Amino acid sequence: MLQSLKLLLPVFIPSWQFFREVGPSPRIEFCLATTKESLGEWQEFDLRAQSKSWLDLLFSIFFNARWNEALYIMNCAERLVINPTEHSSQEIISRMIIEFRRKGLDLSLTPYLQYRLVFVSREGDELRKDVLFVSKIEELHNEL
Amino acid sequence: MSFEIAIRLTEILLAIAFIQQSIEHLCLPRNDRRLFLLRIVLSIALLVGSGSQWLCLGLFFNGLWILKRFDGPYNGGADRMSMLILSCLCLIYFIPLQFAKYIFAYLALQVIFSYFVAGWVKVINREWRSGQALEDIFSFSAFPASESLRSWANAPRVLLALGSWSVIGFELLFPLVLCSQPALLIGLVFACCFHLINIYILGFNRFVWVWLAAYPSVIWFQTYLASF
Repeated sequence: MLQSLKLLLPVFIPSWQFFREVGPSPRIEFCLATTKESLGEWQEFDLRAQSKSWLDLLFSIFFNARWNEALYIMNCAERLVINPTEHSSQEIISRMIIEFRRKGLDLSLTPYLQYRLVFVSREGDELRKDVLFVSKIEELHNEL
Repeated sequence: MSFEIAIRLTEILLAIAFIQQSIEHLCLPRNDRRLFLLRIVLSIALLVGSGSQWLCLGLFFNGLWILKRFDGPYNGGADRMSMLILSCLCLIYFIPLQFAKYIFAYLALQVIFSYFVAGWVKVINREWRSGQALEDIFSFSAFPASESLRSWANAPRVLLALGSWSVIGFELLFPLVLCSQPALLIGLVFACCFHLINIYILGFNRFVWVWLAAYPSVIWFQTYLASF
């Protein structure tokens, strides 16, 4: 009941402060490995398209599922840094697994997954990156 | 626009917005599809239009269930606005009739605030006024919907400042839609263009459908204010 109220309160009294400032922005990096010891080669997990045509725009008005998933996991990444929960972490992992499968990766060959959250921000004229969260090593046997 | 027509139009547009969102969820390989299947069924029934009060209540609890499933909004502002519209529709149906107009007026004011507050928080921020914030959105934020849009960060600063001020100006001036019918028409056309640009740059497609569903309240409220 209390949790429902907590979720509903911003609905009844919304803040609408869209883009008040452009703060540190999350990137998700992951590594897949055959053993726990061989983890360490970080790659960016990015669902962003390379480019978009006007036809893509027309289509995305009606259907933009992949990008909405990307926005949601960025939201989960921000939540993880502010208030880490197993829910947010699992949401990120499950979407990574979906994407790996979509790309045809055989996860039985690389059953260990670890991810980290890198926040990019501007400091003067330079961009800086800070690692603010590193997940525990996940064994994907259970997920396969 | 009469109160009854505005309510019915809100229901129809909200049902369409929910169907659009639910189709996106159903096309993803996840185990929460039943939540969105239920939402589609309820939304189609709402489109048909009988028993609206119970369907809105059903959609409200379905929305609450979805909020719990994602431990908060899945799609930020769009989810908040859709739940606000649903909450207002439920209240309109289940409270004494004499208070219903106040609830719908509250929704209209929230739509006005959704633009005005967003404009206000930008105009008081030096980085937005100078165009730096817009440059940051393109250069390193998580929001550009395609990698090629990152190059827009290299646009001349004067162009970025012009873009920033266009956004700020539109958002701050949006409350003027309440002044007259021509202002309302112009404001809503600008708002639709604004949301389309947001879809291209930021990929926020759900916002346009949900905010469209809230516009009948603004159209009705402008007519209501003009009657005094």
